[in-house]
Parts: sequence; C-alpha cells; structure tokens
Amino acid sequence: MRRVTAVTAAAAVLALTATACGGDGGSSDNAGKGEIAGTVTYWDTSNDAEKGTYKKIAEDFEKKHPKVDVKYVHVNFGDANQKFKNAAGGNSGAPDVMRTEVAWVADFANLGYLAPLDGTPALDDAGDYLKTAAGSTRFKGKTYAVPQVTDTLGLFYNKKMLKEAGVGVPGSFDELKKSAKKIKSKTGKTGLYLRGDDPYWFLPYLYGEGGDLVDPTAKKVTVDDAPGAKAFARMKDLVDSGAAVTDSSDGQENGLKAFQDGDVAMIVDGPWDIAGAQQGKEFKDDKDNLGVAPVPAGSKAAGSPQGGWNLSVYAGTKNMRTAQEFAKYMSSAEVQQRTTEELSLLPTRESVYDKPSVRGNKMVEFFKPAVDEAVQRPWIAEGNSLFEPVRGQMDAVLTGGRSPEEAADKVGDDFRKLLKDQDYK
Amino acid sequence: MAVETTTGSRPAPAAGDGGSTAGPGRGSGGGDADRTGRKSGASGRLGRAVSRYWYAWAMVAPVVGVIGVIVGYPLLRGVYLSLTDADEANVERVIGVNHLPATYKFTGLDNYVSILGDSVFWDRLGWTVVWTAGCVGVTFVLGLTLAVMLNRQVRGRSFYRIGMIVPWGIPAFVSVFAWKMLFNEKNGLLNQVLDGGGIDAVPWLGDPFWAKVAVIAVNVWLGVPFMIVAMLGALQGIPGELYEAAEMDGAGPWQRFRNITLPGLRAVSSTVVLLSTIWTFNMFPVIYLLTRGGPEDSTEILVTYAFRLSFINSPRDFATSAAWGVLILVLLSLFTVVYRRALRRQGEVW
Amino acid sequence: MAATETTPETAPAKSAPAKSAPVKTAAPRRRGERGPLAAFGLHAGLLAATAVALFPPLWLLVTSFKPKSESFSTAVVRDFTVDNYTHVVADTYFLTWLGNSLIVVVGTTLVGVFIAATTGYAISRFRFPGMRPLMWVLLITQMFPMAVLIVPLYNTMASLGLLNQPVGLIITYLTVAVPFCAWMMKGFFDTVPVDIDESGRVDGLTPFGTFWRLILPLARPGLAVTGFYTFVTAWAEVAYATAFMTGEENLTLAGGLQTFVNRYGSDWGSMTAAAVIIAVPAAVVFGFAQRHLVAGLTAGATKA
Repeated sequence: MRRVTAVTAAAAVLALTATACGGDGGSSDNAGKGEIAGTVTYWDTSNDAEKGTYKKIAEDFEKKHPKVDVKYVHVNFGDANQKFKNAAGGNSGAPDVMRTEVAWVADFANLGYLAPLDGTPALDDAGDYLKTAAGSTRFKGKTYAVPQVTDTLGLFYNKKMLKEAGVGVPGSFDELKKSAKKIKSKTGKTGLYLRGDDPYWFLPYLYGEGGDLVDPTAKKVTVDDAPGAKAFARMKDLVDSGAAVTDSSDGQENGLKAFQDGDVAMIVDGPWDIAGAQQGKEFKDDKDNLGVAPVPAGSKAAGSPQGGWNLSVYAGTKNMRTAQEFAKYMSSAEVQQRTTEELSLLPTRESVYDKPSVRGNKMVEFFKPAVDEAVQRPWIAEGNSLFEPVRGQMDAVLTGGRSPEEAADKVGDDFRKLLKDQDYK
Repeated sequence: MAVETTTGSRPAPAAGDGGSTAGPGRGSGGGDADRTGRKSGASGRLGRAVSRYWYAWAMVAPVVGVIGVIVGYPLLRGVYLSLTDADEANVERVIGVNHLPATYKFTGLDNYVSILGDSVFWDRLGWTVVWTAGCVGVTFVLGLTLAVMLNRQVRGRSFYRIGMIVPWGIPAFVSVFAWKMLFNEKNGLLNQVLDGGGIDAVPWLGDPFWAKVAVIAVNVWLGVPFMIVAMLGALQGIPGELYEAAEMDGAGPWQRFRNITLPGLRAVSSTVVLLSTIWTFNMFPVIYLLTRGGPEDSTEILVTYAFRLSFINSPRDFATSAAWGVLILVLLSLFTVVYRRALRRQGEVW
Repeated sequence: MAATETTPETAPAKSAPAKSAPVKTAAPRRRGERGPLAAFGLHAGLLAATAVALFPPLWLLVTSFKPKSESFSTAVVRDFTVDNYTHVVADTYFLTWLGNSLIVVVGTTLVGVFIAATTGYAISRFRFPGMRPLMWVLLITQMFPMAVLIVPLYNTMASLGLLNQPVGLIITYLTVAVPFCAWMMKGFFDTVPVDIDESGRVDGLTPFGTFWRLILPLARPGLAVTGFYTFVTAWAEVAYATAFMTGEENLTLAGGLQTFVNRYGSDWGSMTAAAVIIAVPAAVVFGFAQRHLVAGLTAGATKA
C-alpha cells in the first residue's frame, strides 16, 4: 500500500514540475541561452582517483549555463547511501542530483525520494542507452535515473608477474589456484587478492557456480541452494590454500595497494580502479603491464554482476528544472566520452562507443564485451539490502570458521526476513 | 536573567539547611576544604511553602524543561515506536513539497518478542557484557597500578603523569583513527614491527577474536588516564599517618595495600567503576569507527547494533532499533540499582 | 640488593605543584627508600606505560608530515612535507567543519553550564517538593544510551527542520551534558560554605541575587570544570553527529574525519594532518583543566 502512496506522491511532483516548465519545449539545445539558473548541489560518489575529473566535469556545467552555480560535493561511496537517506528522510540537506549506484535507485525510489524523469529534459535520447544500463534506472514502470557509467568485474593481472611465473591468464578459479602456487614459488608473491570485505565480490563466485541471490520472477530465495554454499566454499578454499589473501575490512584500499605494489599478481576489480591501479608503482611507468581478463569461471560458468552509476534527481529539490538539466548533462555523450578518455570508464550510450577515442581505449575494448555479458541483477527495492547479510556471512566463513553450508542457509534466512512483505519462498 | 527581576517582590526566603544534603566532606576528589558546615540556622519550617519553593523551582525549571522536552518526550516516543512496526518506508516523511503521512501501526510487544526470541540479541548482550567487564576491569587494574606507582616519589613524576594522561586529552575519534592506522593488517605499523620480529601478521581487525582484543585494547587505552587521575586523587587523600602506624605494627607492603590503600580508595573507585561501566556499555565511537562492528557482527555491542538497525541497515528498522534502546536502558537501570544496593550493603554512603 | 638508604629525591618535588599533594610531604616513610632494582622496575613500568600512551598520537604527528604515499612506511619522516596540512586547510571543508564544531560545542557549553549551575545550586541548597525525583531523573538520564533517543530525536529534529543545523546538535548534546553537569555543580556548591548564603540573605539579597553575585563567582573552578567536561563531550561525540549532519559543509569534525578514512578509500595523509590540528589545542587546554576535572567528576558523584 505504502508503495503506492510514495509513487503517487512522486508522480504529483512530476506533474507539478511538468506544468512549471511546460513552456520550454526546445530545451535540448538551450546551452548558452542561460535560461536555467540557481544552485544545483551534486553529490559525487566517485573514488579518489576519479573525483578530480568529476569535479571538473560537474563545474564545467557552469560554463554552459552561466547562471547556474554547481555545488560539487564529494561523498564517499561507503557513506553515500546512508547519508542520502539521513538527508532525504529528514527533509534536510539532500542534494539535488546524486550519483547513485545502480542498486540504490529502486531502494530510493521506493521510499519516494527520487523524482521520476520520464518526459523531462533529463531523459535525453533515451534510445541511445545500452539496454543493460537502462534496466537499473527503472522501478515500477517509471524511470528514476539516467545511466552514467556501466561496469562489471574483470580479472586485473600483472603481466610481468604472470610471465615470470610462467603461467597464463587463468580462465577458471581452479586454474587460478594452480597458477597461484607457481606464482608463489617463482616470485614469492600471492596469486590473488580476494575482496572479503565487500559482498559485491561474492557475486562472481555465486554466478560461477550457476546460482543467484534471488529469483524475482518465481519469488524465490535461491542463495541457499547448492551454488551458494559452493561459492562460499570456493572463496574459503582460495584463502585457506594460500592462493589468495583477503581482509575483512579496508579491502578497497588494501587490495588496490597490494596490486599496485606487486604484492599480489591478480585482483578481481572493476573499471573504476583502472585509473587507481595505473598510479601504482608496478604500472606507473609501464601502463601496458596492466592486463584485464574476464572473471574466472567457477564450476559452471563465468559470470560477473552488472554494476555502474546512475544520476538521480531528488524529489524534494527546489530547483527541479536545473537539476534535470544537470543530470542530462552528466549523462550526455560528451561527458561520457570525457570520462572514458580520462578515466577509462565505460559509457552507457551506444553512440559513445563509436567515437574513435573510446573505441581505441584498451580497457573499453576489454570491458565492453564483458559488460554485454554481465549478469543483470534483479532491480527490486530490496536489492541493495540483500548485500548486508552476505557481508556478514562472508566474514564468518573467511575469518570465523563457519561452514559454507551454514553461511548460505543463514543468508537465505535473512533474505526471507527482508523480503517477507513480498512473500518470497 | 529574567528570574532576577521576578524575585524582587519576594521577601528573603530561607535559603538554609544547605549542608544537610551534602555528605561529610571526605575530600576524596582531592582539594576541598574540610567543611563540616552543619549550620542549622535554617529557619526553614517557618517559611511559606510556596514562597520558599518558588525559587528552587525557578532554578531547576530550565533543566526540567530541557530534560522533559528533549529527553522525556523522545523517550516516550521511543517507547511508543518500539511498540509499532515503524521503518523508513512508513514513517511520516516530507520530501520537498510532498508530505507522506505515517502509515505504521501499533503492534504491541511483537518487537520485543522477536528480539528476545532471537539469538542475535543474546549474542550481542553476551559480548557487550564481556566488553564492558573486560574494559572496566583491565582499565581499573591498570589505572590503579599506575596510580600507585605514580604516587611514589619518583624522578620525573610530572613527566610520566602528563604523558600518561595525554590519551584523555585527545578526542576519542581522533585516537581511534590513529589506532586504526596502526592496526591495519597489511600495512599497519604493528604488523610491520611484528613482521620484523619474525611473527606472522596478526589480523587485528579482520579476525573475530583479534578484533575483540583490539577494540578492548583501544578502549582501555582511552580509559586508563581517567582512572589514573581519579585514583591518584584518591590515593593522595589517604592520610600518611595510617601507613606509618601500620608499618609500626609490622604490616608488610601487601598488607598495607590491602588494609589501608584499598579501603581508602573505595568511595572513589565505586564511583568511577560505575561511571566507567555506564560509559563503556554505551561506548559508541570506538567500535563504530574502528571495526564498524565487524568482522561479521563480532564486535557489535548493543548500542552500535541499535544504531546500525536504524541508520545503516536497509531498510531502516526504526521500531526494532527503539526496542533495542529500551532494552539497553532497562539493563543499565537494573545494573545501577543492583550496584548501588550492593554498595549500600557494604556500608557505603552512596 | 641490600636496601641501601637512599635519600628521598627532592628534586622532582619542586617541579610538582606543591599545592597538589599537601598530605604527602609529611610522610617520611618507605616510599623514598627503594632498592635500585625496585627503582628500575618502577621506572621501567612507568616508562612503558607512558610510551604506550604517547605513541599513537605521536605516530599521528609523524605520519602527518609524510607524503601521502608513504603514510604507512615505518620510517620516521623521510621526506618532510607540510602538504597534508595545506591540502586539508585549503582543499577540503576542514575549516568549515572546525567552525561547525566550535559553534556547536561553544553553544552547548554556554547553555549547558548555565542551566546546570542553577539546578546544581538548587539541589545543593534547597529542599523542595520534587527534588528527589529530579535527582533520580538526573542520575538515570546520565546513563541513557543514545540508542534509545536517537531515532525519536532524529524524527523530531526532522519535523522541526533542525537536521543539519548546529542548533539541532546543540539541543541534542544538552541531553548528554546537562544531567551530568548538574550533578557536578551540585558537588561544587556543596563545598561552598552555607555561611555565604546567609550573609547574602542578611544583606537583603534574594536567593537569585545570592546565587548570581556571591556563590557563582566562588564556584568558578566548578564552572570551568563542568564547562570543560561539556566541551570535551560535545567535541568528541560521534553518533548523533553522524546521523544528524549530512552534506559535506554541515559536518562537524567527528563526521568530517570519517570522510577521510572509510571503507572505500583512505586518505591517511589528510586524516592525520586534520587529527593533529584537532588534537593539539584540545590536548593543551585539557592539560590545564584535567586536574580539576577529575576532582569534579568524582566529587559530584560521590556526594550524591
């Protein structure tokens, strides 16, 4: 019931704004006319290596629209969801536009925090968006965000180290485990950095065994089926056998540092860390040393989740029109091309992939096909909350000695609690 | 202040009978004069009740107001929320011009039943008790030991004293970050030093056991200075003659410690132990900033877990969080009552 | 090993403020006589404890002068730099956070101490209906876990539009500070002789006049201590600050530091520099106040 209320309320906002700015039909090419004005606060959630570029991009909006003042605020990815909810739930301090993780859109929209964008200037040339990327922007038949970058996980590897150890790029985790032994004996270093702190990294193992978290069409929790336990077991085995090292906290920092410094030969990571990895001492002077391959396969398949970032507009913004224009700008082909050129991030627009500078980008060359095959997650309101139980059990399995079966069962139980309103089995 | 003008019309009241509420000035905290002021010049009982109480009430009014409005009301609301199914999707929200009314409903004791029937609460409670007892116990013993050492005439005493108190002067959230840096498993100084000594890296914050050790260690580090200063004050309040007399009677150092020092410290230590217990039980920043309750939930105490329920988890479960809060309050009240009763039985004035 | 009679060292006695330990000087007993081994043990123990106490803050200080990329190196400053400081001050919201913290903390302290003082005085001097319940309430409120208040307060603040406002935090912190301060102030007023109240009365002063003109000036050390306690509590509070303040420019220091070091990336350089800027003044002020602080804390509570 309450969902309905939220959605109707949000729709009311839409109606209001639509009437408010109904007159300016030709908004698509109004750059320079300066008809939009005011301050637009933008929360950016990019990482340390990316944020400088994003700040510049965001502030360049002022050049196009001199009357607009862009207030760029960097918010850490880890705190952003929490902070936005604090702010939006308290009706105070929420940004006009926010760079929203794909799994957050449904969550926020469900709470009525996001403004629907269908039919507004924000949704510009929607047909150009990759289908996979656009999927996460929709919730209950409405569009609540525009995609900015898309991503998936890949296996980053240190070419020199693999060569030194005389092993190829592993295509499966079994192979990776064997290679790790050789790497250890030849170079003394560890094969893989396994992200044990972040539940997102559970997904490739789960998909690799042919499983998934939930099946929204059958309304069924699937994580505690056999593949779930196998995925936990796989991760545990990699760590226990010494093929991989892990941390239960600070994984982003420690993992990237270990890879940058050549303490590990491989790490499963996404395009957002390309720029960061290349700043490390193993890659700084030899950018070609960084190799990227598909995520290794489990016993059934190779699979990696589709992720990425969208731009959403806060439903309570006082400057709806400007916010929409800003979201449109940040998701435009021009900006996407720029983020690819400067940060090797993957565009969400078909047309951008045709640009020579993008087509020639090595990382894009690799990641584009990977993204096309990435596993789409169920974009349900609870999608984001599903991660927390996984995180706990990943910790328990990797550090606390809980058995993979128990862990998978526990996650399943927690999922059912979270999804009890939807009657998941 | 406005109050001063209102008083003008009233004749002098009986401000008297002041000393009666104060216990005998035992000077335990150090430094107050020996006041046995039992001036019963209080012509109190003659005064008109109203004119007498008027002043007192006016003086406590701001605090009563503050407590009533920002403690009392939220508390009642918290208790009420704990009896509902409120979460972030059904509480009243204002989003810009939109107003979404509250749609949560009263569910009676359901939250309490499910909390108490779930092992999560008991696990967290168990660890919270270990955490509190461990922190307070270790802090107390260390603080007392160091205070006794400092209480001797030792060269460089001021230096040691100031040095040891430093952790108290730094905001806890700053110190916790310093420790977090030292504890970092891969690159932290502690493990690099251990590594230099040929010891394998300890997963300080990554292993349930070590994470518990780490959070307790940091909290002890933060708490010892207070303990030292409090104990030092108390030690200095014990008259030296007692020791001399005991020594003359042939009491050894240990006996002197047991029979003079410890009893002499009792008043202060019972207070600081109670205070530390309450503080530690509710200690939020150390755990939240150092481990965020991880790995898994192993270092999550009741307070941090309640915070997580309402501000970190998704969906935010306000009702359950409030119920946790109420349970925590009940536990602390129980503890205080029991503790005070135990002290009273031992003849403490407290 | 023979317990050779060593003369009590008199040198340090000079450096220690004489006032602080009036009782001790009169005791010519075994404290002064120690075998060298015992003396060694004593110093070793004290030194070790001091080292443990000082090391983490010192390491912060050291790290803050290292370039960002070397934050974790074990070496003591190899390439000295103040980049972290200039970065923190110039490129981040640090100064804004500092300002926010100061507003919140000073506001809390002023309001908190004043209302705590009147209450402390009233409980110390008067007996009035409602006094015992009030004392109980004060005592119990001291141990209120923030967990029980935070959600309702958050909702209330939200509906009053006080989230992200310093005022909201000030009001919130009063819940933490006032009950305890009232207790401490009561303890201080108890040490002020009642004769003074009476002399005020004889001079024709109202209780408020007495309180304001005679007692309050005498209780200045107590005010300083409660003020300082409030200051420290509010300065270091994390939970409310994290939940009630969002948006980078509204944060207080406790929230601001968290943005430097978090789950997805850590800028230890900035963090350490900011930490030093926060810690040094706090520690210095604290150094002056701490002696009285404990007296106040324990006195207020033991005399309950």
